[in-house]
Amino acid sequence: MYEEFDPGQLVILAVALDEDVDAVRQWAREEPPVPLTYPVLIDRDHLLAELYDIVNVPTTIWIDEEGRIVRPRSIAPADDTFKDFTQIDSSIHNDALRAWVREGTLPLDDTEVRSRLHTPSADAQRARAERRLGMHLVRSGHRDAGERHLTTALELAPGDWAIHRGSMPVRGKDPFGQDFMDFYEVWEAAGRPDYES
Amino acid sequence: MSPASTPQRATIVDGDRVTMVAPIGAPDAETLHLSPEDLTRATGWSLRPEGLCRGDVCFPVRDRAAIVHDDAISLRGVADVLGRPLAYEPEPPVAVLGEAPQTVGASLASGRAPNFALPDLDGGTIELDDYAGRKRMLFAWSSW
Repeated sequence: MYEEFDPGQLVILAVALDEDVDAVRQWAREEPPVPLTYPVLIDRDHLLAELYDIVNVPTTIWIDEEGRIVRPRSIAPADDTFKDFTQIDSSIHNDALRAWVREGTLPLDDTEVRSRLHTPSADAQRARAERRLGMHLVRSGHRDAGERHLTTALELAPGDWAIHRGSMPVRGKDPFGQDFMDFYEVWEAAGRPDYES
Repeated sequence: MSPASTPQRATIVDGDRVTMVAPIGAPDAETLHLSPEDLTRATGWSLRPEGLCRGDVCFPVRDRAAIVHDDAISLRGVADVLGRPLAYEPEPPVAVLGEAPQTVGASLASGRAPNFALPDLDGGTIELDDYAGRKRMLFAWSSW
């Protein structure tokens, strides 16, 4: 995916919201999310998530030559492997991307762009701070305190996959197994919040 | 060596800034206190007669006694004035100052993509603005 574009037309910055450089390196090597001609960045502290109000992956944000956001954060699966779960047709994003890169066709008008640029809730922002604190504490050997703050983060942001699923490895849970399915069912029952495509 | 003679160090995290400070007094369950100099060092904010200020921006402080006493400034008091979330653990003292919802919202509402600097896999640092003048797609992903 995305191999049809050259860096002259489109620069893709792949940002991994990940703790572990080695895991990112391995993933990038074995299953690169984007062609490796592009920089792969590590965002251990989820700074990008806070700047752009990202709550899940894979998420894309499109930025034009002048630095304007032309497509705010949206879920962008590379293909339809998980379409039953995502309920998103990947070709919609990818066809629009092609049209924007090749012809400059904007994917959304100004009103749609504005309506998708949200102010996060106070709880969402608190959750991000609690997550960051929790991870800092776990990393520095204070596991119990860290897990308390991660739990607070989960409670404050029930729809934030970057917090829930992202912290599963550290909390000893499997982001690809039953723990994730349990979270997914609760999230789906809540009406699939915050899942724009 | 008794605990009282071991100088305590508190970690204050604010965006990409991580600062160690010596808290004034014992951190309690709600907050830690720090000197005016350490507040500025850790966050860039200063307590002045006109309020809590950074550069040209000042937030008025209506209840000064609530945030400062004998030159000891409450970090939570500062966070409250700034409308920013504070995630705080007293033991060991670590505090994370998050962004105010309005700050994130206003930044995005401007329609301009905020810059960032992040490490790449080779130990270098890449900024969004390194690619100004080109179409860019941020692709946030993960191994989880």
